[in-house]
Amino acid sequence: MNSLFPKLAVQGIRKNKKIYLPYILTCIGMVIMYYIISFLSYSKSVQNMKGGSDLQTFLSIGTGVIAVFTIIFLFYTHSFIMKNRKKEFGLYNILGMGKGNITHILIWETLITYLISTVSGLVLGIIFSKLAELISAKILGDTWQLGFNIDVKSVISTLILFAVAFGLILLNALRQIHLSNPINLLHSDKSGEKPPKARSILAFIGMIILGVAYYISCTIEDPMSAITLFFVAVIMVIAATYILFIIGSIVLCKILQKNKKYYYKTEHFVSVSSMMYRMKRNGASLASICILSTMILVIISSTMCLYIAKEDSLNDRFPRDIVIELDSTEDKYIESLRNAVDKVIADHDVKYDNVLEYRYLSFAGIHKEGTTITLDTKVNDFSNVKQVDIIPIDDYNAIYNKQETLNDNEALISVKKFKYNNDSINIEGFNDFHIKKHTDNYISNGKTIASIFASVQLLVSQEKFDEFCEFFKEQEAESRYYGFNINCTPEEQIKIFKEIEKEIKTLQKNDSSFPAVSSESIEDSRSNFYTLFGSLFFLGILLSIVFICAAILIMYYKQITEGFEDNGRFEIMQKVGMTKTEIRKSINSQILTVFTAPLIFAGLHICFAFPIIKKLLEAFGLFNTGLLIAVTIGVFLAFAIFYVCVYKITSRSYYHIVSNKEV
Amino acid sequence: MAILEVQCLEKIYTTRFGGNQVRALTNVSFSVEHGEYVAIMGESGSGKTTLLNILAALDKPTKGDIFLEGKPLSLIKEKELSSFRRDNLGFVFQDFNLLDTFSLKDNIFLPLVLSGKNYKDMNNRLKPIAVKLGIEQLLEKYPYEVSGGQKQRAAVARAIITNPKLLLADEPTGALDSRSTDSMLKIFSDINSEGQTIIMVTHSTKAASHAGRVLFIKDGEVFHQIYRGNSTNEEMYQKISDTLTLLATGGDKNE
Repeated sequence: MNSLFPKLAVQGIRKNKKIYLPYILTCIGMVIMYYIISFLSYSKSVQNMKGGSDLQTFLSIGTGVIAVFTIIFLFYTHSFIMKNRKKEFGLYNILGMGKGNITHILIWETLITYLISTVSGLVLGIIFSKLAELISAKILGDTWQLGFNIDVKSVISTLILFAVAFGLILLNALRQIHLSNPINLLHSDKSGEKPPKARSILAFIGMIILGVAYYISCTIEDPMSAITLFFVAVIMVIAATYILFIIGSIVLCKILQKNKKYYYKTEHFVSVSSMMYRMKRNGASLASICILSTMILVIISSTMCLYIAKEDSLNDRFPRDIVIELDSTEDKYIESLRNAVDKVIADHDVKYDNVLEYRYLSFAGIHKEGTTITLDTKVNDFSNVKQVDIIPIDDYNAIYNKQETLNDNEALISVKKFKYNNDSINIEGFNDFHIKKHTDNYISNGKTIASIFASVQLLVSQEKFDEFCEFFKEQEAESRYYGFNINCTPEEQIKIFKEIEKEIKTLQKNDSSFPAVSSESIEDSRSNFYTLFGSLFFLGILLSIVFICAAILIMYYKQITEGFEDNGRFEIMQKVGMTKTEIRKSINSQILTVFTAPLIFAGLHICFAFPIIKKLLEAFGLFNTGLLIAVTIGVFLAFAIFYVCVYKITSRSYYHIVSNKEV
Repeated sequence: MAILEVQCLEKIYTTRFGGNQVRALTNVSFSVEHGEYVAIMGESGSGKTTLLNILAALDKPTKGDIFLEGKPLSLIKEKELSSFRRDNLGFVFQDFNLLDTFSLKDNIFLPLVLSGKNYKDMNNRLKPIAVKLGIEQLLEKYPYEVSGGQKQRAAVARAIITNPKLLLADEPTGALDSRSTDSMLKIFSDINSEGQTIIMVTHSTKAASHAGRVLFIKDGEVFHQIYRGNSTNEEMYQKISDTLTLLATGGDKNE
């Protein structure tokens, strides 16, 4: 008797290989992904790479995401398997097996699946982990080491995670078995099907939620509120998608049914009514497919965009090769600084050019609406914080070769990361400025790019600038920007930069009144930049692979369920006088509708998510909207092709089931 | 002219790998007149379902042919078969075969919709039939909400709404309790008395006793037939029972 249960368990898996095999494959896939990500986030060799520890920080977030996702997802798919196997258990029950015995079988089954998936998953994971290591080295722009290692910590955490997941799944399965009686189990797949109810109010609420989420995304003006509202919008979209797919589609079918002229047409009659049942059964999985697709699209397009544009972002962030900022506008300090720089440059026998030099005064203000910027800095509402730079018009003229003149109550304005259309502006404590011109000549400034806040550059007369300096004297808000390019190799640039920093230290040591100085060099920061975007992209790819696996499995299961359902319906329709071609046509069009719906909705989500994603990427210093559009469209097309392929492949199993009978 | 002529029907099934041949029908000939109510009886395996399938044009005979109003079925093209069935034949099945995705009304409309009728037309046709079958209150209900007898009445309505030349019923009372069976048989008699030609395949002596003529099939041949003449249902029942006993005890062809 003791060896009977494992035997029955193995048989159960084998006989149901149509549903079990994809499940086990997915489990293996999840194990592989989890191990690889966990391996990379612990691996010594990754840690030793340039920027490796940054990558590891991102990846450890990724392990968390995947762990949670794995548990939810496996739980969800296993309930599908249980639905299909209840009949078998009912039969065992009637043939005299107690629920205790069925529990035995289930435990064995779970144990076998657990062992198969973790063992083969870990073996494959260990093999592929080297590949992942090579890819991460490539992304970080570092060389890789030979050698192969296994991370015991990751193996153990993988085993534990999946033990927990399978434990939960087992408990849920046992709960279902114990709560039902044998007859219910036996007929669970044939219980009379109630027609779905149309709950118009809920569908309406779903549409409103979706509308609000879209509205949020489209009306966001600055990156800061994009970050705070992004997750709100995401949750709303997810909720709305589920409501609309499960309930909205049924409501739509009911409305079509009410229209007698439309409904009682040969080509609509069967489709509309069967569609209602299809959606009742599959609404949730379609919504899941839609959400997963949207996530994949958002993740891949945004991280890929950042990765492609890393060079541009770097150049935006560092408008000049070397930038030095003095916390003072006084001429004598810049003079000595310039001399120091000249000396170093001369030592290296290189040329510098493209000098960018200007004075500015910088402070944070709160701007909600209208024309007033207040200075209340204790506000918690970060989305209204604006970085304000006051720049003398003379410096602006010098940079852009212009001859603008302003009197004391006039100003030019240039903004970044938000819109300002008024023709006057008021800064708390000063009189109104009439805005003489809105200019696009924003004076490049890495700080604006690096900062998450929106910013305003206000160009005022020299007198007004002095007045501002006087006003903000306490805060030491005034600075002098000094940046230039040098023509030399990256290594030499870094060397020069270090020497300049040393010279500045000497200056500060010799003159205790010398102001604070911040300095940065593009080459010095390049690798950090590349690591950041490379890591994000890498993580994006890894997460997307997991989501894709999930989406494929859901699709496959959906096809199988539909196949079994349609089988009986096919026969009846034929007896009643539909031709095979009529039935095929109707079924084909239904399946096509059902399958394109998630893709179309995902596309719609992406379109409406575009503004908010654009703002989010601005927080990362990416302003290239054209690139984002191109990448998003490209990723969507690639995904659509992939989606169609998966659909084609999985739909074969559907036709296989349906054509078992003579149709 | 007879509405249905069945001539020398033979059906041989070949098993999948071409080995054994099974003769389901050997030599079946009979004809059905306009407005007749014919029951076909026989034991399991006697070939009655095969016969019905061939009459329904769901299957093709190996030899012989069927003429519906003088037109041979074998000349109908494969493509036109479905619409032929839809327009000329009505079906009632043992297990109802209602689609649970449709309300009863829509189930009844199904063949009409497939023929492209408009809604007003369909509704006008439905009303008298629904009253006659006593289902006018149930039309908006779904199959899972009504009893077996009610389902079968809806199925009958679906079968006759196209005004078929021939109503084919396959064990129509097989899944019903005795009360539903009685009312169902009454419905068949009523429909028949209005001129509908009916062919019913059945096991049940009671069901067959309502028919005007009973054909007995044994081993793929028409073994015997009984005409009602002027007998009551009870007398008919007795005659059928006698014949069945004879069949079961293996008597030779008599009379």
